[in-house]
Amino acid sequence: MRGADYLLKRTVFAVLTVLVAITLNFVLFRALPGDAVSNLSRVPHATPALRLALQKEFGLDKPLWQQYVLYLEQLAHGNMGVSYVNQQPVFSELRTRLANTIPMVALGTALAIIIGVGTGVLSAWRRGTLTDHASTNAAIVFYAVPTQWLGLMLLILLAGVLPSVGMHDPYAVGLGFWASKWDALKHMILPSGTLALTLYGEFTLVVRSSMLETMGEDYILTARAKGTKPWTIMRTDALRNAMLPTITLIALSLGYIVGGTILIEEVFSWPGVGQAVFNSVASRDYPILQGAFLVLTLSVVFFNFLADILYFRMDPRISA
Amino acid sequence: MQKSLGGAVLAVMLVSVACGGSSAPNPGPSGSGGGPMKEGGTLRIAAFDGIDSLNPYVGINDDSYATYEYIYPQLVQYDPSAKFIPDFATSWTHSSDGLTWTFTTQANAKWSDGQPLTAADVAWTYNNIIKFKDSVTAGAAGVVQNLTKVEAPDATTVKFIYSSPVPAVLANVQQTSILPEHIWAQYAAGDGKALKTFPNTPTANMPVVSGGPFMVTSYQQDGTTLFDKNPNWYGAPPHIDRFGVTYFSNEDAEVTALKTNQIDVIENVPPPSVQTLKDANFNIYTGPSSTYRTFIINSSPFKKTNPELMDPQVRMAFEYAINRQQIIDTAWLGYAQPGTTIVPTTSGIWHDSSIQPLPFSIEKANSILDGLGFTKGSDGIRVANGHPMTYDVLFPGSERGAGDRAFQIIQGDFQQIGVKLIQKPVQGAYSIMTAPDNKYLNWDLAMWDWTPPLDPDFILSAMTCHSFGNWSDSGYCNKAYDALYAKQTHTVDEQARLAIVNQMQQMVYNDRPYVVLNYNDTINAWNNNFAGFVQSAQGLFSALDKQSLIAVHHT
Amino acid sequence: MSVIANEPGVVADTPRRRSRGGLLWDLIKGRPSAVVGAVLLGTFIVIAVFANVLAPYDVHTQVGPVFGAPSAQHWLGLDDGGIDMTSLLIFGARISLIVGFAAAMVATFVGGLVGILAGYFGGRPESILMRITDYFLVVPDVPLMIVIATLWGPSLGHVILVIGLLVWTTTARIMRAQVKSLRERVYVKRARSMGASNFRIIGRHILPQIAPLLVANVILAVAIAIFDESALAFLGLSDPTAVSWGSIIEHAFIRGAISGGAWWAIVPPGICIALVVMGCYLIGQAIEDALNPRLKVAHLSVHGFRLRPLVGLDKDAL
Repeated sequence: MRGADYLLKRTVFAVLTVLVAITLNFVLFRALPGDAVSNLSRVPHATPALRLALQKEFGLDKPLWQQYVLYLEQLAHGNMGVSYVNQQPVFSELRTRLANTIPMVALGTALAIIIGVGTGVLSAWRRGTLTDHASTNAAIVFYAVPTQWLGLMLLILLAGVLPSVGMHDPYAVGLGFWASKWDALKHMILPSGTLALTLYGEFTLVVRSSMLETMGEDYILTARAKGTKPWTIMRTDALRNAMLPTITLIALSLGYIVGGTILIEEVFSWPGVGQAVFNSVASRDYPILQGAFLVLTLSVVFFNFLADILYFRMDPRISA
Repeated sequence: MQKSLGGAVLAVMLVSVACGGSSAPNPGPSGSGGGPMKEGGTLRIAAFDGIDSLNPYVGINDDSYATYEYIYPQLVQYDPSAKFIPDFATSWTHSSDGLTWTFTTQANAKWSDGQPLTAADVAWTYNNIIKFKDSVTAGAAGVVQNLTKVEAPDATTVKFIYSSPVPAVLANVQQTSILPEHIWAQYAAGDGKALKTFPNTPTANMPVVSGGPFMVTSYQQDGTTLFDKNPNWYGAPPHIDRFGVTYFSNEDAEVTALKTNQIDVIENVPPPSVQTLKDANFNIYTGPSSTYRTFIINSSPFKKTNPELMDPQVRMAFEYAINRQQIIDTAWLGYAQPGTTIVPTTSGIWHDSSIQPLPFSIEKANSILDGLGFTKGSDGIRVANGHPMTYDVLFPGSERGAGDRAFQIIQGDFQQIGVKLIQKPVQGAYSIMTAPDNKYLNWDLAMWDWTPPLDPDFILSAMTCHSFGNWSDSGYCNKAYDALYAKQTHTVDEQARLAIVNQMQQMVYNDRPYVVLNYNDTINAWNNNFAGFVQSAQGLFSALDKQSLIAVHHT
Repeated sequence: MSVIANEPGVVADTPRRRSRGGLLWDLIKGRPSAVVGAVLLGTFIVIAVFANVLAPYDVHTQVGPVFGAPSAQHWLGLDDGGIDMTSLLIFGARISLIVGFAAAMVATFVGGLVGILAGYFGGRPESILMRITDYFLVVPDVPLMIVIATLWGPSLGHVILVIGLLVWTTTARIMRAQVKSLRERVYVKRARSMGASNFRIIGRHILPQIAPLLVANVILAVAIAIFDESALAFLGLSDPTAVSWGSIIEHAFIRGAISGGAWWAIVPPGICIALVVMGCYLIGQAIEDALNPRLKVAHLSVHGFRLRPLVGLDKDAL
């Protein structure tokens, strides 16, 4: 009963957030300076007629509320507008961009989780030893370096060894299935590696401290006193209970990672959604910005919702 | 270096013209320096700008225009000395009144899909621009100014009929890509809006229907675009089989990619990287580009604040206090030339080389300002009209990097003449400058850049009162200048036009809406696998000519 | 109402009165990491304060060749304008720390205010404030920062505000939980029954209790702000006229330091950022630890650009 109530609340909240996000997105982007037209019409021999024509074309001549109604109408039909820059639908543009970003982010995050959970558990298990200190300190260091800087360092060190730009070798024609997958993977190593290194430290620290915390709980202490082997306690109780905050944290982080890859995509010229956001700021391409912003907000809402559900599934105190 | 390349170009050109429309394989002249010539191969180009659209009515980036140059015919093109040479037109004449221009075009030419490419395509392209010049094709309206209609009496003849004479006809047709009527006509129906939404992208087995030496076979915005040799191209065939243009989000990554052999050529080498590339044995070309940097003094007649800045004496003092040589040495590491007039050196005869910059002299600047009675306050800053001479300098994002360094140098020297400058970074500089209502009221000084077309008509027009809120970034308005501009646009005789153009340059120089800081060099670098590029004022992959990537070859 | 035993940020059983040196002693006792953190942060604060004295050269004057290599006169070489890197780093510390502390203050002020008001008054004000907080919690920070920085134009003040206004949310939630539990304490109830005004209760009884937590928050937020500023600077959205560590990295990058092999122009500022962030992390961690060794209240997530509640989500939202 309580559980159903909880889920309903979270769902309603998620839906409301989406609505607020949609409206705020509109308001935010109409407040940007430098309308698209003054940028677009900076082509040789632009006439005032062109500026007017462009304004009409993009509906910028209408009052704000009309533009808002138009925006909602279009959005309801799954139409996110047309890019000012290349005149192509925003929806398909963003789909392509997301498809480019997601594999890179997924690989990086997966690596971060594996390394982070692994070293975190190791640290907690070997608390106070040299291993613990080494792994904790390494985690703090990687966690403290700026993303773009770490990317640049990897670029300095490894640019000759690994591809440093783009998603695949566009000139390698006639590659077989596995060869082309290998090529794509090679291109992913630097950006995904940067992401993994900057993320994993956070996971290590969280896993370690949640493990230690759980190990201080009464029931663990009791088990210990009863003579249960430390490794058994670790495996059965400590690890399982420590997973709760860890998984929540990971789910929460996921939503922000996509937006946070802008820096990595800038360093490695990765044609993903982050680069689309950045380039559209420069060219005042509102529809793309607006669309990307909406998609990113939705992804955060989604992952938060996911975290809620996971929490619900895993925490006996809620589902009971 | 440019000279020897130029020689090679001319040879290729001659062959190309002699061959006419035949698409027979042509070995071409060999030995333009840089090792033995090999046919075939793939050239990998890095682009900082990116190809924003394959549709000529949509794209605005330089790389997009260069793409259109290579996949579509234009009637004429530039040679490295900024003279017009044949492209799809083999010859041209005009009537004595300048109202009718007749072009003879390549015979038996074909589009890449095998359809005939004739004078009719030319006529359709231009008439289509005229038809929609107030809406969809407004971006190209300038090239059809005073153009009444274009006729194609037969397959190899096009006639341009003008309502009044236009001097820049060849410059206009140079920048207009001829599109295949059999592909594009269907989008010109009704209000013509489809002309803009048509993406013109290639599909798996269908390259973009092209009429140039290359055709686009694969396109990815902010990724790599691939160009394959067009088998039906009317001119001398290129030596390379294909080339690709890869987008880079920053210049440093381009240099890294070149050094690690991920690409073969880069077009905009950051000056600090030149020495490293030279040390690593890469080929470097540096030569004049049409890009120049300006220090802008708001000249709007509407502006009432800080009236001292309208004083020609103050403006002259400012120019004296600008150390162009130090800017060139530090910001550009020597890869720039001192700037003078608004028509850059790459415009050939149109650049008035008699205009010389004022020599850097803090003393002269100080004595001028002393003479005006602007005495220094206790903080060393002069007082003019009751306020300290402290000004914001608008600084658009495009000037970052080298421009920051140039600003710091100017700021330091102005400090010595009792004028305090504050760098004010802005986004969307143009809308800030023109505000409110195109009156240019809210700013004093700015730094920006221009890359005008080679023909001076455009940049001259940008300084007229008419271009307020349209192209003007200085608020300069001078009736005498406007009268000269009007006269210039109707003067077909080159020498007579030149005299007017020089007079206009002198006028702008004296009034100083701009202090032109420097003309930038174009810096290209490529590895030893390739040779034979033809350099232009806009790099080796440019919208000025098709020669570069036809002449380039594997070594 | 609350289904989770441990509210985030509830300081369990803090003794009401504590000697002034108490917290500090608790901090240092048995925590060498706190000492390391304090030394790191302290060193940089000293450098920032005495930048004028410490910097060997002016940061607006060319003193050698462009990208000159490290030498006896210039230990860390020169940047793309021929400016001494050591001096740039010293002055960069000043701007980076100013941005860091100012943004952290903004964040803690807004977050603290919202949290205290919501937690203390409860009811309608609480649910409205918390709904707003929840919305800010799901806004994608980096894209929003980019949009706002673009909208307002590049200036240091704007960067401080943007960061401050995006980092406050977790502070608000932690403070609310904390204040809610304090409100139910016997001495607060007694004060209320004796007719003390709300203002007085908050000032006399609540604020002193949550002050150490606020301090921990400020310090953790400093790290986030410095991190964010460097990200905005890298995207060209910070103030290019102010020398911060972030802008030094960006500047070297757009001027080709990497391909030109001028590692000295790009490696040191990154190390400085990392050291300060580490310092803040270690201190923040230690304060929380000292307040409640068994419960981490918040977790600094620099790459997620926010503080995150570590234990439990706020389940009573809506």
